[in-house]
Amino acid sequence: MALLETEILIVGGGVLGCAIARELSRYKVDVTLIEKKPDLGWGITKANAGIVCQGKDTLEFRPEYHRSKLLWNSLPKMEPLCRELGVPFQTIGGVEACKNLEQKGKLDKLIKRTEKLGLGKDEFHWRPELLLLEPDLAPEIIGGVYDPEIAITDPIKLTIALGESARKNGVEVLLDCEVENIQKQGFEFLVRTNQGEIKTRYLVNAAGENIDKIARMVGGDDFVLFPVKGLIGILDKKLAGMVTHLIAVLPEQPGALNIISPTVNGNLLFGIPIQINRRGDYSSTKEMQEVALRNLRGIIPDISDKDVITFFSGFLMMQNFEIGWHECVVRMSSLVPGLLNASVGYPGVSAAPGVAEEVVEILKKEGVKIEPDPEFNPRIEPIPDFSALDDQAREKLIKQDPRHGHIICRCETVSEGEIVEAIKRGATTMDGVKYRTRAGMGRCQGGFCGPRVMQILARELNLPVSEIRKREAGTGLMLYESKELIKGRMAS
Amino acid sequence: MKLEGIDLAIIGGGPAGMAAAIRAKESGLERVAIIERGEYLGGLLDQCIHNGFGLFYFKEDLTGPEYGARFEARIKDLGIEVLLESMVIELRPDREMVAVNRKGYFRTQPKAVVLAMGCRERARGSLAIPGTRPAGIFTAGTAQRLVNIEGYIPGKEIVILGSGDIGMIMARRLALEGAKVKAVVEKLPYTGGLIRNQVQCLADFEIPLMLSHTVTYIQGNDRIQAVEVSRVDEKGEPIPGTGKLIKCDTLFLSVGLLPENELSQMAGIELDPLTGGPLMDEYYQTNVPGIFAGGNVVQVHDLVDNVSWQAERAGEYAARFVAQGGLRKRARITLIPGRNIKSIVPQKISPKEDVEIYLRVERPEKNVRVHVPDVARKAFLVVSPSESIKIKLPAEKLKKAALEKEMVIDCLPKKGD
Repeated sequence: MALLETEILIVGGGVLGCAIARELSRYKVDVTLIEKKPDLGWGITKANAGIVCQGKDTLEFRPEYHRSKLLWNSLPKMEPLCRELGVPFQTIGGVEACKNLEQKGKLDKLIKRTEKLGLGKDEFHWRPELLLLEPDLAPEIIGGVYDPEIAITDPIKLTIALGESARKNGVEVLLDCEVENIQKQGFEFLVRTNQGEIKTRYLVNAAGENIDKIARMVGGDDFVLFPVKGLIGILDKKLAGMVTHLIAVLPEQPGALNIISPTVNGNLLFGIPIQINRRGDYSSTKEMQEVALRNLRGIIPDISDKDVITFFSGFLMMQNFEIGWHECVVRMSSLVPGLLNASVGYPGVSAAPGVAEEVVEILKKEGVKIEPDPEFNPRIEPIPDFSALDDQAREKLIKQDPRHGHIICRCETVSEGEIVEAIKRGATTMDGVKYRTRAGMGRCQGGFCGPRVMQILARELNLPVSEIRKREAGTGLMLYESKELIKGRMAS
Repeated sequence: MKLEGIDLAIIGGGPAGMAAAIRAKESGLERVAIIERGEYLGGLLDQCIHNGFGLFYFKEDLTGPEYGARFEARIKDLGIEVLLESMVIELRPDREMVAVNRKGYFRTQPKAVVLAMGCRERARGSLAIPGTRPAGIFTAGTAQRLVNIEGYIPGKEIVILGSGDIGMIMARRLALEGAKVKAVVEKLPYTGGLIRNQVQCLADFEIPLMLSHTVTYIQGNDRIQAVEVSRVDEKGEPIPGTGKLIKCDTLFLSVGLLPENELSQMAGIELDPLTGGPLMDEYYQTNVPGIFAGGNVVQVHDLVDNVSWQAERAGEYAARFVAQGGLRKRARITLIPGRNIKSIVPQKISPKEDVEIYLRVERPEKNVRVHVPDVARKAFLVVSPSESIKIKLPAEKLKKAALEKEMVIDCLPKKGD
């Protein structure tokens, strides 16, 4: 890559970076987004629970906090945004439950505050009423607040769609592009990456887990954030109808969550115990798994360990782990002009549209010429979802492209047509295909479709199968060809 | 696709589906169709390039592809209709089904259905092994396809968790390919597969078998780098402090097979929690009239020969169901697993004709006899959960014993005889 010049460079292709890129693509500005992984949304975003929280579920959202404001500005925008981008969004309603009168006192306070802030009028319901919503609740739960507005979405699909929309509207998106160092040269930044140098006037640092590392490269780290690991468990689809709302119980550990919720893919997820952790260590420990399972049974007792199909972990960047207090960083660096740092922590996905608007406002104040682009098109077509269509639509789809009649993933009913379309739109790995289409996400976890998806990737990308990876570099699947390991031996 | 007006639809073209189709056609059905999701008939047989198939059915030692080819040739001769790369995505209690392939999307209602979807492998998620989620973890059967059909080798330092048959066979296969198979790790104090595989696949190749051990941690951020293997106590719980790190670039899982019954459940078919397959009557019919089942979708078999035999019965009765417009209801005996019996198929039998039943024991035991009260008894030097037991129950003896509606089958120590 020769030297690339841009007015605004966004570092990080997570939900924040992509939301900012997409918001900026409404205007006639020159924007580039770089992401070090081969796909969008693979950092912090990947382990987001996908819950569009309403910001009234905990007293932590104090009105004077910046992140409360960002979240509350964001919430009305979430559903229209998901609709525009063809991303799933379901309003399911949620219950914040309590197990004793002391906890009930906290909920009463929340109800009062919610009303005072004009966020709606919620009511406390005693156990018998809650059982009408969720019949399998644990006997210790005495009651809770019902919030009908709680919704769920798919964080990775949202991020990929935001990136795709930004790209369509003129943002340059570079993947596998990792920052090596940054120099300030007069009013500009010279960003050296593994793909070459990029010169930019403004640097938007949305590097998620690595936000402080990037800021430090140019001396602009005027904040302290701790990497905090959280663990999420996913339950088999056969339990689908068992829980139909988000259920949260006040956690014992500050900052942790104690929830079970449906996902837009028809599973249930639960968690989320947290621990402060060495960055980049995505392992899940037996202890965390046990805490998650114990908490889960404290909400819905009748779930067995065997119903867990997978555990995964991810990071949040928090300001103060010990007491759970946290404020976001969305502001110009006080140390380096032209550098804007953006990290929300919890709840990143729900606040992303609000953060993106705020970033545009800040950049405007910094002197960026913000002029609407009349050609901006907010919509993108989602990849067809064969499993969600009716008979007629399915028949039509197969007529248009017979590959839609070739089902590759049995568990989730994903067709070859969907997989090919996902690859056309940027999937280059097994996980890239999985996050876009759900192929391999079901109960057999890719046992049947895995080899077939591998072949389709190889065919469409014109690569040998041995170069098809699960994720980033180093995650190759088939390391050798048949007879390769015994070649030498056969000669001797 | 010409699915309209077919007499019998068979879902799945593996060994069970092929055997059921042949027998149904031979029994006189006009139009029999096999709907197979894969690219060819035979299901998993084509990736099973080792021998040991057909020792009982053909009295010959064949490889998987050879075994399958004999059935396939017969299917051609008989003019059985075959739809490949076609998936049944919906099945209703009235037998209306939806199948889909590149040519279109089809609804049809055959006069009878045989379920022959086989089984799938248990995946990593159900084990909840702590650690990272790197590349390089495969179920043994998926790896078998990648190695034997597609010609790739996943890695050169292999650990295998679980001593199911496919795992042991893949241990030998990878050893022959020049990879180092560092260990086969089994939680139980005995192997999960056939004894012949323990000898021919592990012992003969000097592959260490670690009984009463399990994988307790997975390491490696990108590709798997090592597993921690710990000893387990009698309850199967890992003993703290016994962990040993084994370096590897690949982990195979061979931790059990599950009958694939999502479609069956869609059709309202009742499953037996002990087998994971549909509750079968003496006709190999499910609780939904006109829907039959045979092979690994009913119960996981250890020998393909038994899959073929069982599915033939399903095909035969399905043909009779179509010809007679239903099957006569008969007096029934419910078979109940007793001492050291894990499961029995079929679960319901009739005293009208000779029946073959398949049993599995719960735990290994020496010097036992399997006891079917007043009907049959069979002595064994050793029984093991990995080897199913087949017993023939003669009709004339059943008739005498059939006063009881329930019959408890026990596996008893020989001494008390």
